[in-house]
Amino acid sequence: MAGYGAITMPPSDPALSRKVSIVGIGETDYGVDYQAERKRPEGWEPPTEESLLTTAFERALADSGLSREDIDGVTCSFTYGGPPAEDVSRMLGVKARFAQANGNIMAGPLPVACAAIAEGKADCIAMVFAVASRSAGRLFGGMTHSTGGVPDPDGEGGAPASYYYFHPWGWSSQAAHWALIFAHYQWKYGVGEEDLYHVAAQVRRHAMAQDNAVMRKELTLEDYMASRYIVRPLHLFDICIVNDGAVCLIIRRADLARGLNHVPVDVAGWGYSKIKQDKMHTMVREQLRPQLQAASGDALAMAGFRLDQIRHFEGYDASSFHLINQVEGIGFTAPGTGLSFCKDGQMTLGGRIPTNTSGGNLSQAYMQGWSQVAEAVRQLRGEAGTYQVPGVEVSMTNLAQTDQTHPIVYVRGDC
Amino acid sequence: MTEKRPDRTLGGSHDTFWDWCGKGELRLQRCGNCDHLHWPVVGRKCEACGEQAFTWEPMSGRGKVVSWTTFQQDYYRGLLAVPYDTILVELDEGPLFMSNPKGFGWQDLSADMPVKLAFIDAEDSAGTFRLPVFERG
Repeated sequence: MAGYGAITMPPSDPALSRKVSIVGIGETDYGVDYQAERKRPEGWEPPTEESLLTTAFERALADSGLSREDIDGVTCSFTYGGPPAEDVSRMLGVKARFAQANGNIMAGPLPVACAAIAEGKADCIAMVFAVASRSAGRLFGGMTHSTGGVPDPDGEGGAPASYYYFHPWGWSSQAAHWALIFAHYQWKYGVGEEDLYHVAAQVRRHAMAQDNAVMRKELTLEDYMASRYIVRPLHLFDICIVNDGAVCLIIRRADLARGLNHVPVDVAGWGYSKIKQDKMHTMVREQLRPQLQAASGDALAMAGFRLDQIRHFEGYDASSFHLINQVEGIGFTAPGTGLSFCKDGQMTLGGRIPTNTSGGNLSQAYMQGWSQVAEAVRQLRGEAGTYQVPGVEVSMTNLAQTDQTHPIVYVRGDC
Repeated sequence: MTEKRPDRTLGGSHDTFWDWCGKGELRLQRCGNCDHLHWPVVGRKCEACGEQAFTWEPMSGRGKVVSWTTFQQDYYRGLLAVPYDTILVELDEGPLFMSNPKGFGWQDLSADMPVKLAFIDAEDSAGTFRLPVFERG
């Protein structure tokens, strides 16, 4: 098992802006694979990271129009571990002069790979992410995050303290973080669960237009309110799905990315910010706003765009309410207005900022931020289908965890 | 009655916190250099200034509820009977303290509801201890 832990973000340096383009994307069949895992027909075998990433890679390669020989780098991102990048490279038949473990969730891997190309380590990298958390029976919450009797003295390098420190009071899980923020928000702004419904319903409508989405049935208010609570006040449909899958992004030196199958999508800017102290206060009372403002400000400055030029957004909807934290915190709408903003249609076609237009983590797939990048690419190419944002030229993705946030800004290569 | 609870984080300064709870006192680490009051317990350095000069300051035990969550999902595999309530209490001294309500439930909650400290007898895999919870203030 290679090390697939935390990675160090490259600086938000304008000199690194638009040096690299995304030229190919590939994803697995999220919906079909999810149904197969649930039904387990005769002869069904659980997918592995290797089988999933091979499918995503071959699709991304075909999408790019490049030949295997054009790829000279492979990076691998595995949330729960996986084979070394050198082995994956051999398995894919790629002669890689650059093969590297590259973290896991979309909290840094793309900027890191862009910086590697800018440094001349490779010209064209196949970035693969795969996760088989559902088939593996991965559990979330409870003692899954524990210090195991060996405390991480300063909380550096391990899970944030809020993941394990409150076990004696029965408090754990990511869902509980979002529920805690929303319960406070309800009091502060006088909103209810029926207001939050609109977020899950909007993202679901987007997923219903996607052939490969896991959840494609309309979500009514009645279904939503009748669904069980996971951590009150959040219902089942406020929490992301868990499914197996893989995403591959093929990225190339921008000057070599023109004239291929598709208009290239340039990686124009990125940012990063993490809570340093008083996490509960910053999370519950400020909804991570200081970090969201700082990181998105850095990403926009690096890219040379203003927020009002961003016409499409892909946020990290680990929970419906966490998407609102990001839409408010980045500044698409003012604090306290996110739920009416969504209800008024501002987060879909015709609104201020069409958001999670392929169904996000709530309804399309939980690829830990990677499928959001694929959707940003489709939007900027003009290939996003029913929820294509007309004429969109600049897009932003953002992966926000409970204590840190990683926005990325993309621009059509011909703009 | 002693309640079974999921495991505490123990060792070093964490033990000091629970030792004070055992004496019926809620004490948190105050930085002698920058005055920052910490929760959860930090192992070595002040998270604000990086110094290593803590005193264990007694809390008044007074606070108000700023948020809450009720667990329906059985994350602890039956160790705690669901549903159960948790509250986030802002101590008068400032820190936000995760805890459980004693003698009331989520239906009784309102924004900034005053609460006061109490202790209950609890047990985890390391042994018995006293757990700080909150009653109506």
